[in-house]
Amino acid sequence: MANCLERKKVLLVPLDPVHDIGLKMIRRGLDEAGHQTMLLPPDLPPEEIVSIISRESPDQVLVSRTLGYGVAELLARFVDLTDAAGLRDKTTLVVGGMAIRPELAAELGFDAGFGPGTSVDEVVAFIEGRTYKPDAEISRKEKVDLAARYSYEYRHPAIARLLEGIVDGILAWAEGKTSPGIKRARLRDEAWDVEAWRQGKSDSNFNDAYGALCDPVAEAFYRKGEVHPKTRRQSKEEIARLEDYLTSVEKSMTVRLLQHREGQPKVFIQYGTGCPFMDIAHIKVCEAWGADGVVHFDPSWGARTEGFIGDFLTHQEDGSVITPENLSRIKAALETSTLWQVRAHRGLNTPETVVLAGKLGADLTKINIAYGALAAGTDPARLTVDGVEAIRMAVKYNLPFDVVTNEELAGVPAHKAFAGMLIVAALARRLGGRPLLQPLFAFSPEVMISGQMRDNYIDFNAAKIEALRAIIDAPIWPGAPIGFLTQTEDRVQSSMTTSLHAALAASLRVDAVSIASSDEAYSGGPIVAASRVDTLRAVAEGFRFFGEGRVEPTKKASQWATEIVDKIEAVLRAVAAAPSFPEALYAGLLGSKEEGAYPGRAGRGTVTEE
Amino acid sequence: MAQGVLSQVLDALDLETFLICSSEDEGKEMTIRLMKALGFQDVDLVFIQFAGPGARVRARAYIYRPGQDYAWVRNTDREGKG
Repeated sequence: MANCLERKKVLLVPLDPVHDIGLKMIRRGLDEAGHQTMLLPPDLPPEEIVSIISRESPDQVLVSRTLGYGVAELLARFVDLTDAAGLRDKTTLVVGGMAIRPELAAELGFDAGFGPGTSVDEVVAFIEGRTYKPDAEISRKEKVDLAARYSYEYRHPAIARLLEGIVDGILAWAEGKTSPGIKRARLRDEAWDVEAWRQGKSDSNFNDAYGALCDPVAEAFYRKGEVHPKTRRQSKEEIARLEDYLTSVEKSMTVRLLQHREGQPKVFIQYGTGCPFMDIAHIKVCEAWGADGVVHFDPSWGARTEGFIGDFLTHQEDGSVITPENLSRIKAALETSTLWQVRAHRGLNTPETVVLAGKLGADLTKINIAYGALAAGTDPARLTVDGVEAIRMAVKYNLPFDVVTNEELAGVPAHKAFAGMLIVAALARRLGGRPLLQPLFAFSPEVMISGQMRDNYIDFNAAKIEALRAIIDAPIWPGAPIGFLTQTEDRVQSSMTTSLHAALAASLRVDAVSIASSDEAYSGGPIVAASRVDTLRAVAEGFRFFGEGRVEPTKKASQWATEIVDKIEAVLRAVAAAPSFPEALYAGLLGSKEEGAYPGRAGRGTVTEE
Repeated sequence: MAQGVLSQVLDALDLETFLICSSEDEGKEMTIRLMKALGFQDVDLVFIQFAGPGARVRARAYIYRPGQDYAWVRNTDREGKG
């Protein structure tokens, strides 16, 4: 509270036919701060207001007025009248309202002007002659552990027994088997000294041994220094410029909260322009607009090539090349509160990606054997042995990982995709890992065909969450992204649908969501930063709109949840009866060719005995 | 002046408007012609919907595609760009 010396006398003047809400809010703030306020009724003639100023001698006069036709002249005349009355030098004149800008206020002769978005605290600080500092506590963001509060206890005994039996089978089948991906992961884990690498020391022993485990394109990097033909090296000059740019951005960088209340889900975006410079630029934009986490994904050819190359590389296709240099620079550019996921779920470099993610400071990774083998092109047997190793590496580097069910985008029914996800989650649980369940939260081919979203987009998504919670106590992170395939090239519609899905996710109290940009359905070029802002702003509004309120599913949600659980159990029973988990994948038990799931071919025949 | 500011565009410039036209095809043609007339070369139509008197359009001019030499990286002192 202000003492008597600091106490200001403030006259609040709604120079407007009706509206004085803003001034009433400001009066409350000024009263609470101990100042003396006097609020005039709306729409008094300027001459009468000047007379009151003369009589009351306030320290400050706050005028509010929405700008419109002729209003600028009215405000200028008001200032002239105070001047003519000899009051201009005795009191501070401030104007605020819609469309008011500081430059306009100065032009009209006011001492200050406050426009839309001004907080009461900001005005109080001005009245008290203080520099306004937003409350750091309000916008403070801290990195969270999404898996921290879950027990991973099973809630469905029959499914638990099936999952544990399938896990026994997978571990027995993978025992003694290896692959080039596993060998590279172990070499990277044991022989790659990340600190020496950071100091620029080259390790020829590692490079020689590593290159021998790679495909020719990657091997050429280690033997001859050649980079992938689709990429180019960033020059030293470019890198120096980037460092300068980042230093410049960091001076003005703040992050905002998207969530209106505690407990609303964390929001992830997926970057991957192809260029680490552009990635970093997009990440900084998204952090400033409230993203809590960012996901690194690599180009599709990266998943089908044995081995990673190095250097700071750019290219012009979807996805950004995983190299230690690219990852390291992106990591260095992140705000401390930003969760960083390096996804490793689908290709021939799965276990090694986890090692790189761990050594370079990622917070999360992504592993899914079933999706990677049925919808992302990798041979089921290869991804099974690599997946087991990847989970072990995730445990070693303390990386929680999500298990995505994007095979639904091919048309695989949710219960089959969920069965695959739960098997990987159970495997992780057995090996000491911390999986996050990532059901697709979208208008997927399955529902397009079978019509579960004919009436609304709520029930079936809610049913998925309810079904998973009936089986296991684990974190849930819908994605990836939410609203997928509901989005069109129209940014208003896409942003709106993303926002509504995020609000539904908040209502269902899930832990995180991945959102798309409003460019998601546009395929003519790369996603741009402005379209990322669209959906981030929309999600913030969705969170604000619902607050602690809820989206209410109909009775269908629970009926469908029960059906999903029953069907998951049936699928798991069939998988448990299969000769092996890879055989179950080849046979289509977790997604058939008719459903759009094709066992991948990359890496076929590369699994060998240790 | 405009060229100097354009160099500070992070990646692309979108132009949104409503065009009076008689079909979606005509709207597309007009939009691309408009963007070219404004001097943009790398242009595309992100969104178009024709209804009633004309088309709601969003056209895009890529100022930088990923991997190019971005002026905004070079210009870290952003005072007085023009």
